[in-house]
Amino acid sequence: MSDLLSTPPQDQGHRRNKASITRATRPRSSTKGPLDADNGLLTSPAASASQLSPTLMSPARSPSNTAHPRQAPPSPTPQLGEARPKDFAFLLQPEIYHPLNLQNIPPAFRNSQKQPGPEVPIDQLLAKGHFRAAAIAAAQELTGSVINGSSIDPHDANRIFRLLYTRLACLTLIDATSLAAQEAKALEDLNDPRRYIDDITNEHLAPWELRVLHVRLQALGFGDPRRAVMSYHDLAREARENIRKASLAHDNSARELWKSRLHELGIKVAGALIEMDDLSGAAHHLGSLRDRGDGKLALSKALLWLHLGDTRNAKLCASQCSEDTENVEKIILALCDMADSNYELALQKWQEFDIMAVDEMVGVNQAVCLIYLGRIQEGRTILEKLVDSGLSSHTLLFNLSTTYELCSERNRLLKGRLSEKVANMEESPFGWEKTNADFKL
Amino acid sequence: MSHQAYASHDPVKEPHSVSVKVLRLSQPSLVTQYPVDPPFSPPTTKSQPAPASLAYKSASNTNPDPFLLSPILNLPVSFGSAYVGETFSCTLCANNDLPPDAAKRIRDVRIEAEMKTPGLGGTQKLELGPANIHGATPAGGVDLEPGGTLQRIVGFDLKEEGNHVLAVTVSYSEATETSGRTRTFRKLYQFICKASLIVRTKVSALEPSANSSSYRKWVLEAQLENCSEDVIQLEKVVLDVEEGLGYQDCNWLSDGDKKPVLHPGEIEQVCFLVQEKGADADGGLRLTTDGRLIFGVLGIGWRGEMGCRGFLSTGKLGARIAAR
Repeated sequence: MSDLLSTPPQDQGHRRNKASITRATRPRSSTKGPLDADNGLLTSPAASASQLSPTLMSPARSPSNTAHPRQAPPSPTPQLGEARPKDFAFLLQPEIYHPLNLQNIPPAFRNSQKQPGPEVPIDQLLAKGHFRAAAIAAAQELTGSVINGSSIDPHDANRIFRLLYTRLACLTLIDATSLAAQEAKALEDLNDPRRYIDDITNEHLAPWELRVLHVRLQALGFGDPRRAVMSYHDLAREARENIRKASLAHDNSARELWKSRLHELGIKVAGALIEMDDLSGAAHHLGSLRDRGDGKLALSKALLWLHLGDTRNAKLCASQCSEDTENVEKIILALCDMADSNYELALQKWQEFDIMAVDEMVGVNQAVCLIYLGRIQEGRTILEKLVDSGLSSHTLLFNLSTTYELCSERNRLLKGRLSEKVANMEESPFGWEKTNADFKL
Repeated sequence: MSHQAYASHDPVKEPHSVSVKVLRLSQPSLVTQYPVDPPFSPPTTKSQPAPASLAYKSASNTNPDPFLLSPILNLPVSFGSAYVGETFSCTLCANNDLPPDAAKRIRDVRIEAEMKTPGLGGTQKLELGPANIHGATPAGGVDLEPGGTLQRIVGFDLKEEGNHVLAVTVSYSEATETSGRTRTFRKLYQFICKASLIVRTKVSALEPSANSSSYRKWVLEAQLENCSEDVIQLEKVVLDVEEGLGYQDCNWLSDGDKKPVLHPGEIEQVCFLVQEKGADADGGLRLTTDGRLIFGVLGIGWRGEMGCRGFLSTGKLGARIAAR
């Protein structure tokens, strides 16, 4: 399945036009930006598999780059003579932004004193985990209906994109990703140089995090997950180019920044492959990435093998962990025991973890083991203690609500009480407001 | 899983003080996460992902972010699909739903479970685990305080396609200061078990080569088609051959190849070389009355998401032997 990574760039365009197969086909240029110059990189599977590994990205090791240094910036083709600031009025249309439904918020949150007023600025909303309110405020500011301050300048790229990113990112945090995918369509093709590349500096006007998020949202919006794989590769090419530039300029911090962005893209490609169910492709791809010694890659690989059901390969990942990443090894082995239905052994391993270190995962997984062992009361107690200690991940709440459903006919009451308890928690960047689905209400 | 309640043999019209709840315990699943950079983060440094975009809170940095899968586990979200070859596992919880100040006491709660299968086998009584908790054996009754739960787990190997019914019977005695009575109710949970793997086999005799011995050889080929809705990874294919026969595995195990991953609708072709062992031809081999030679059965084991196991074996495979 690794052919996905080696798809020639000609296929990158939309596939709307089936009739065109009969005619001589011209590669569509819509998703190609000025940074696509180096097309050859994606053609060989071996090269593509290692492309996202930062080690191979320094120009010294990349003959194709040194042979043809792309010093001259690729020229986008503005049709009109002089450079003008870009106009982003098309992102300020109120019809882009959907109203957010209150129906799926439990009453304990809807009617809470903690609900912020309309005057609270966005950065405070974010700091307190009021993501729904922040998404609303961002859309209001974009569409100019905000009371304080003047309406937004359609040429103020910085402000517009910061608000748009806030809007979309917050939607993904409140379980409204499909809405975000709809709204992200307004951006159309972020690789379009005429729209998004500054004529003077030749920089992309949208911030990097928006471009990365847009890849996933666009793939969701078009129902085409493979698109994400290709778009991440496009971004990776740009990151690699920036690493090269930073190296030449001896700008170490920029170099590190772009290297970590490149690494992140590599991991995201694996995620995109998993989402399109290409698990062996994802495994192959992860295998081509360089471990940064923090154990994260070993854990990622092991989780992928476990997802596929291959505990033998997962255990191999555990055996490759260094002494510094002893915890990772223990996590993998405990999960392997669970995958092999050895819940007793898994429980012992989870119990060996340091209880002083706050780790929600260890507690939740311990409780899951207990439920599979027929010790639901003990599992319930652990989950309740985790909530009492101020934790409130979706998984914790979902598992505890499921436990309530098993333990009582009157579970609605218990789930309602749980939602009240969580609504009374301290607000934090971990997110305060929850949805009905979190409590199975 | 649809369910129906039966208030069988219970003349009392009052609602029951004990409820029963079930959950199919398919494998727990790894939770996915979509880490995003926090809004308003500085453009010149790589920021940590927004904490709310991670699957859970960790002080010891156990999260492999920005990877999609995280190690925290979710209990099964829904019943899902049941497939032939899998072990059906289910937890049954009997709960004392009386308020804490109730005058009644609930004693001697027992759970029994049976599985009704589509074939002639009819109904099978299920073993209840775990072996010994709450200070009682699974067979014995347990006293439940208000709000208390008796949890049992049943397992059942799914071997047939079609309608299955899990019947759960709960009995308990309800005692007040002055009187006591035993009550029973039964709930039925119906689900469909589907085929997971279609196995097609073909046997062809190999021409004896000039220099080889006179032992006869056959090639047994099989196509394994994943007809479920889940991705599976084949673990092993083994031939359990009859006496007097040997076989050679020509598949991934033989050359250390990767175990094949089958997406829904995909097919893996496997192959075995079957050959006579004994010196005296036909001596050790038994033929059926209609002149067929039985090779044995083919067993196929696979794993699904988060290690979900499946195993099935074919009927007896064989070939018609040409008279010599």
